[in-house]
Amino acid sequence: MSNNEVNVIDREGAARPIEWEPEQSLMEALRDADLPVLASCGGTASCATCHVFLEKEVFDALGERSEDEIELLVDAEGYREDASRLSCQVGFESHLDGLTVTLAPED
Amino acid sequence: MVENHATEPIIIVGAGHAGVAVAAGLRTRGWQGGILLVDAEKEVPYERPPLSKELLKPGAPEEPTLLRREKYYEDKAIERIGGLTVESLDRAGRTVLLSDGSRRGYHRLVIATGSRARALPVPGADLPGVQALRTRDDALELKRALVAGARVVIIGAGYIGLEVAAAAAKSGCEVTVLEFQDRVMSRVTSEPVSRFFESLHQANGVRFVFGAAVTAVEGTDRAERVITADGSSYGADVVIAGIGVVPNQELAEQAGIDSRDGILVDGHGLTSDPYVYAAGDVTRFTSPWDGASQRLECIQSALAQADGVAEAIAGGAPKTTEIPWFWTVQHGVRLQTAGVRHPDDETVVRGTPAEGKFSVVYLRNGRLSAVDTIGGLTDFRPAKKLIAEGARIDPALAANPAVSLAEAAAATDPKN
Ligand SMILES: Cc1cc2nc3c(=O)[nH]c(=O)nc-3n(C[C@H](O)[C@H](O)[C@H](O)COP(=O)(O)OP(=O)(O)OC[C@H]3O[C@@H](n4cnc5c(N)ncnc54)[C@H](O)[C@@H]3O)c2cc1C
Ligand code: FES
Repeated sequence: MSNNEVNVIDREGAARPIEWEPEQSLMEALRDADLPVLASCGGTASCATCHVFLEKEVFDALGERSEDEIELLVDAEGYREDASRLSCQVGFESHLDGLTVTLAPED
Repeated sequence: MVENHATEPIIIVGAGHAGVAVAAGLRTRGWQGGILLVDAEKEVPYERPPLSKELLKPGAPEEPTLLRREKYYEDKAIERIGGLTVESLDRAGRTVLLSDGSRRGYHRLVIATGSRARALPVPGADLPGVQALRTRDDALELKRALVAGARVVIIGAGYIGLEVAAAAAKSGCEVTVLEFQDRVMSRVTSEPVSRFFESLHQANGVRFVFGAAVTAVEGTDRAERVITADGSSYGADVVIAGIGVVPNQELAEQAGIDSRDGILVDGHGLTSDPYVYAAGDVTRFTSPWDGASQRLECIQSALAQADGVAEAIAGGAPKTTEIPWFWTVQHGVRLQTAGVRHPDDETVVRGTPAEGKFSVVYLRNGRLSAVDTIGGLTDFRPAKKLIAEGARIDPALAANPAVSLAEAAAATDPKN
């Protein structure tokens, strides 16, 4: 079992660590931790209910967002050009261990 | 009154999208009693949409994404029984009979048995080589059959038939789609969208025969050809029937719970028995958006209903209600629909289909009722919001892709 931890700040502003296993997308880790992420498309960049904000350094280190991802996000509540990601499109990478993720507001 | 535990468990029949979401929803709402999840399939519950999409791609992983990792069920004290079915229920005694002969008592029962592929009602439909696509095992079997040069005959040009057609063409199969109607996806979308996808498939080598009524599948030991009413014969190595689904409502129906092409439920998933709830594909309910009696076969609806059931049993707040939506991907092009279109809605095209990226807006009495977005998602979320609000949109404004839907709604005279 992994002990890769991610620090999650929920919509009430409370922080808590969750486990993130290799093979999982960030969305799956959030969903398994019972965080209020509906993920109604199962992680296919179709619903935007898994919207999160990432820290700048992490955001910059990740690959480009796909066109679908950007189109879904731009109208989302609280959209931030340099922080918004669909968590289902963020795959596990060991150097992300310890990262802080903030759940975006719900629409 | 809402209790947060009981001596008998909540029994959930069916561990698909709805069943798993009920179990998870009960725990997040603080339900402390037992939860028993019984499913006919042995595997850890998984996502169904990839079965006809990612999973069929050559070289793609053979495992669909799990709904929750295996350990989740242990961590949450959700007892999971895979590989057994619930055979019947005794409403007076509040027990269910499992296929291994054991009996379990319940505090509340949740029926989330989903739907099954409609069987092809013609002679020869039971020959080996004739397949439906509903489970992980179906998908893996189909994937093995999709080899270069194989003749694949697909009956029905709905979402699933067309997703399979795209995957089969990609694998180098010779693909023929037989459809009774005169266009693809006629039940769910308008003519411009149908024609766009028809050309897309044709450009990728898929052949369509419209107005084709299948009368038989023939073959000696396995399916060899499909026959239609006009006497035509289509040689086949694999036959896939994608002609819709029927709700797995027998459990409820045999126990005398009101069912009519779906188990009848209220806004909280309650059936005509106060101890029995139902959620997902198996239900029929009244749309909160337009009052229509409907069965919806989509994830969004399964999750929303599951949430309502968990709330009714354990209390707590409802999650936000999304309006119904659906997506499909064919030959790499995404069609994403928000809202439920009626055939007599006014149809307005935004953008140029020839460019492969456009939307189609549907208006009912001047109000936005549904949107199809093709090859792009710009209009999707704004449309969901506007549909939920019942926004009025002037068709001339809606037709201009340079004006956003929100702007178009804002500029529309409310008395229109
Ligand atoms: C190939 C495919 C692709 C799809 N693509 C999409 C898509 O892109 N977008 C979308 O929104 N929807 C899609 N759907 C539809 C979506 O999967 C369903 O709407 C959703 O699965 C419904 O959830 P459910 O929980 O009601 O039923 P299911 O997920 O079907 O779960 C029902 C479960 O109950 C079990 N069961 C049945 N009877 C019994 C019994 N008596 N005892 C015990 N267990 C029983 C079944 O084995 C099954 O595991 C697709 C479906 C398929 C088959
Ligand atoms: S889960 Fe739907 S977009 Fe991420």
